[in-house]
Amino acid sequence: MRPLTEEETRVMFEKIAKYIGENLQLLVDRPDGTYCFRLHNDRVYYVSEKIMKLAANISGDKLVSLGTCFGKFTKTHKFRLHVTALDYLAPYAKYKVWIKPGAEQSFLYGNHVLKSGLGRITENTSQYQGVVVYSMADIPLGFGVAAKSTQDCRKVDPMAIVVFHQADVGEYVRHEETLT
Amino acid sequence: MKVNRETKRLYVGGLSQNISEADLQNQFSRFGEVSDVEIITRKDDQGNPQKVFAYINISVAEADLKKCKIIINFLYYWPVCITLLAQEREEAKAKKEKSTTGNTNLLEKIGGVDFHMKAVPGTEVPGHKNWVVSKFGRVLPILHLKNQHKRKISFGLAFVLFLDLRNVIKYDPSKYCHNLKKIGEDFTNTIPISSLTWELEGGNDPMSKKRRGEFSDFHGPPEKVIKVQKDESSIGSLAMSTRPRRVIERPPLTQQQAAEKRTCDSITPSISSPVPVSDTQKLKNLPFKTSSLETAKKRNSISDDDIDSEDELRMMIAQEENLQRTTQPSINESENDPFEVVRDDFKSGIHKLHSLIGLGIKNNVSCHDSDDDIMRNDTEYDSGDTDEIIAMKKNVAKVKNSTEFSQMEKSTKKISLKNRENCELSDHCIKLQKRKSNVESDLGHGLKSLNCKSPSNSGSSEDADSASELADSEGDEEYNAMMKNCLRVNLTLADLEQLAGSDLKVPNGDTESDGPETTTQCKFDRGSKSPKAPTCLRRGRQCIHPEEIVASLLEGEENTCGKQKPKENNLKPKFQAFKGVGCLYEKESMKKSLKDNVASSNINKDQNSMKHEGPSIIPMEDGSPYVNGSSGELTPCQHAKKANGPNYIQPQKRQTTFESQDRKAVSPSSSENRSTNPISRPLEGKKSLSLSVKTHNIGFDKDSCHSTTKTEASEEERSDSSSLTSLKKSPKVSSKDTWEIKTDFSLSVSNSSDLSAKGKHAEDNEKRLAALEARQKAKEAQKKLVHNALAKLDGHPEDKPTHIIFGSDSECETEETSTQEQSHPGEERVKESMGKTSGKLFDSSDDEESDSEDDSNRFKIKPQFEGRAGQKLMDLQSHFGTDDRFRMDSRFLESDSEEEQEEVNEKKTAEEEELAEEKKKALNVVQSVLQINLSNSTNKGSAAAKKFKNTWLWSYNPTIFCCHNDTETYRVETVKPGKIVWQEDPRFQDSSSEEEDVTEEADHRKSSPGEAPLLEKETTRFFFFSKNDERLQGSDLFWRGDCRKKHKDAKRKMKPK
Repeated sequence: MRPLTEEETRVMFEKIAKYIGENLQLLVDRPDGTYCFRLHNDRVYYVSEKIMKLAANISGDKLVSLGTCFGKFTKTHKFRLHVTALDYLAPYAKYKVWIKPGAEQSFLYGNHVLKSGLGRITENTSQYQGVVVYSMADIPLGFGVAAKSTQDCRKVDPMAIVVFHQADVGEYVRHEETLT
Repeated sequence: MKVNRETKRLYVGGLSQNISEADLQNQFSRFGEVSDVEIITRKDDQGNPQKVFAYINISVAEADLKKCKIIINFLYYWPVCITLLAQEREEAKAKKEKSTTGNTNLLEKIGGVDFHMKAVPGTEVPGHKNWVVSKFGRVLPILHLKNQHKRKISFGLAFVLFLDLRNVIKYDPSKYCHNLKKIGEDFTNTIPISSLTWELEGGNDPMSKKRRGEFSDFHGPPEKVIKVQKDESSIGSLAMSTRPRRVIERPPLTQQQAAEKRTCDSITPSISSPVPVSDTQKLKNLPFKTSSLETAKKRNSISDDDIDSEDELRMMIAQEENLQRTTQPSINESENDPFEVVRDDFKSGIHKLHSLIGLGIKNNVSCHDSDDDIMRNDTEYDSGDTDEIIAMKKNVAKVKNSTEFSQMEKSTKKISLKNRENCELSDHCIKLQKRKSNVESDLGHGLKSLNCKSPSNSGSSEDADSASELADSEGDEEYNAMMKNCLRVNLTLADLEQLAGSDLKVPNGDTESDGPETTTQCKFDRGSKSPKAPTCLRRGRQCIHPEEIVASLLEGEENTCGKQKPKENNLKPKFQAFKGVGCLYEKESMKKSLKDNVASSNINKDQNSMKHEGPSIIPMEDGSPYVNGSSGELTPCQHAKKANGPNYIQPQKRQTTFESQDRKAVSPSSSENRSTNPISRPLEGKKSLSLSVKTHNIGFDKDSCHSTTKTEASEEERSDSSSLTSLKKSPKVSSKDTWEIKTDFSLSVSNSSDLSAKGKHAEDNEKRLAALEARQKAKEAQKKLVHNALAKLDGHPEDKPTHIIFGSDSECETEETSTQEQSHPGEERVKESMGKTSGKLFDSSDDEESDSEDDSNRFKIKPQFEGRAGQKLMDLQSHFGTDDRFRMDSRFLESDSEEEQEEVNEKKTAEEEELAEEKKKALNVVQSVLQINLSNSTNKGSAAAKKFKNTWLWSYNPTIFCCHNDTETYRVETVKPGKIVWQEDPRFQDSSSEEEDVTEEADHRKSSPGEAPLLEKETTRFFFFSKNDERLQGSDLFWRGDCRKKHKDAKRKMKPK
């Protein structure tokens, strides 16, 4: 468990900023306490100061996880967000996509969102913009990347992919063993 | 190729319906002299124009004709196929007769191919690339067939031009002796045309859009066949010679075809499969098909604007429902966008719904009461989709405001039902719930629900009659009935209240010994009757239940009320109306729980008891009791809108009126049921119609009463009731005369129609007001919460209560100017410090500044007292009194004096510092990542209004941060980023300031990132923390003029000394 290096922080923030933009600073600088990012087993945990102190009592090799896992650094030192970060991305998300009830399941099984399943989308979403996917009942289901801009979405045919799947809450079941 | 002009007859297909001959003439006169334009519209059996095409007589040069074809087809001015027809039909016939010879004229027109050559099969026709001589000397075109999975077949060379050539195989007819048959096999085995979709590079224009996805129905195939037949008949069995020409004439079709196919595919499978054609027709058929496809496309484009097809309707309705579910106000999207696009600050409708339940109803009403909607829905729900109904129910369930009644019902409920009833009730429940949903949807949609009801009814009721009767329902009557019903539904609230009120009073006098069975039966009656209203036929059918049941009910009572029968007969109609209301009431209540059912049963009992009391009065009182009752009801209604309680207050007086009303209602029903069981079912139904109208009127009056004065309302009711009585009488006189009933019906219809508008208005208004009130209340509650939370916040022990933060001073300034809130922490802090020192000291110590200061300035901290060092200084000063000479200024401060304290906290601060450092770094990275204030970080002083996005992650303590809706923008004047003097002053640099510097830096960071985007966007954002949060001000405010001046002054003062 160690703090992130500058580079790591940058990589991670760049990734997160795709979804929540400048709201990122609200994660870093919270009024309700000190929160920080910690790297442990290549995974980045967002953890409050208090919990961090507690976790310091546990030896590194025994420590499974602490706080909230935001994602992990790949071997190539890229950052990959996990679905566990959804709790923090969803409330801050700048660009959102709502999918129809019929398409929910498909998305939760890890499929991309087709236009036919697209219920609502934030205007002026650009292509490859990170978006958070909600159900029509406003329950965050996951996040992904907009495959098409909002304008393009209007034009494409119903079977075209509009949101690339990245993570969904179905992973809590599917990838239970890797989510920490 | 001839250069000279010759008159030709062009076939222009796929025209839009509203094209005029002049248009065509204009269009084609560019190419030659148009001598005659003949537009032909073909209609299907419903009279809808199916295809429009035109014949144009044009004298045109060959080259021009080609140009014309190319231009028209490619420019896509109309999705046109232009076909060169034989100049005269006669000519064609002649050709047919000759068949093999004498068509040189035609051949010349298309470039001249002798279609019969004496040659070895397989030799190419000289000068024509894709034509070969086949068996028997006929000249045939080489066919290019789509190879890939036999997905596409194209005929003729012209088509090939537009195909992907890689996928085309050549079909040389000369290689097969039975070529036609062979093709036929392919043809029948192929995938239906509807599935032959192809990627089409489309642009943005609406045309291509339509081609790609937006659809309408399509009635192609049958027409096609017909057309083929017809043409065949006209041209006879076409010789091969004419065929190829046809094909050639329509080259550009393929594109359209492809597009068409796609649309067909995605829309409806209406083009199921290529029409099986006999061998000889095959080749001919294709061009025709394409033309029909084109026309279909035409229709698509039309129907995008005006919805004329059922499919579109269905789609629209489905969409509407969808949107309703989400309760988005901006739901009405064109079908081009099945998804909505929302703004950044979009909040989901669900949340809205919670806050605006009251408004929701209104919205529904306002959105969906257009006549078109009604009609559409009407047609839609005839199908009796229970799914849809259920969905509707879901929608409306939230919006329901039946909570009002629940209380009353509970209070009145006292009888427990027998087990046996329960099962019945459960059945009822389901049924009624459905119905209720329908009713609710009525409110929203106008009349839709009436039809909805019928399916549910038919499903639930045991009547075999119902089905047959439903079958022969008449459209007009249905519509009228529906209109009425809609009205009635609107009334339900008032009526229900009335019923409930009467219910409350009567139970005491309830001496009846009706078995539980009878009550339940009655209930059942009502339940089944409620849906009756929509159509007279349905009504008639449903009357069966009530009659039987009530008859059984009354058998025990006949002794007592035997004399009243004749009179009661006259009054029949009322009961129906009441029943309707009752059932409505039931519906409402059903939703709540089974208990409500009990309550309704109570009502029934009450009515029964009333019968005992004295129905004899009824006939004379026709009008008056109503008036009285209604006027009495006015107040309860009004009260009920706000609070349900008041009903109990006045019932005493009104009891009599209510009772009389009830009596009226009940007695007629009983008599009616008894006497006219088999004979006058339909009549009764109609009567009930008129009665329902009456109730409408009453309800309407009630509504109006709310808005106007009571007296007015009563008057209106009187008049209404009088008119109603007249209405009632008509059925009386000729109870068996259907004609009478019909006139009655019409009357009632007119009544209802005008009433509906007014009633709706009044109701809407009421709802709106109520919603507003609720909102205000909510706001106030919120405010209270905020206050409380703030108070709590003040109570909280601060992290660093003992010292003053640099930012606090400026904070105080802005806050005092902006808001008068007593409880912000900054001030609190100042007060604390004041507690230590004396207030006097504050004021008097610095004479020059604070002389004329008002309260706001009094609490300011002198700049030299800021910080930990400042505090010490202040302590020292307080010891030495206020004399200037003895004043201990910062020179007396020793940095080492703090060290003990520091040592104590060293550990902590080290950690904190570490974290702060980390945070700082992180924020730096954030800045670089977000690429905002890289520039801002250099000039920290520059400030602008800050924005913070409201998020619920931060609303840690929901009571604190719930002031979501207060949008405030803090405009902070820009201050030059000049060097701050006192910071450089070494005297102010003490050991403790290090840490503070860190936090201060952090503060800068915090405040600055938000600034840059705001400058660009100029959007107002929500603040979610209380105004006095230091974060909002940031430390940059600290540097504003006053403070600096004070610092300077302080310095100046010190220097002379």
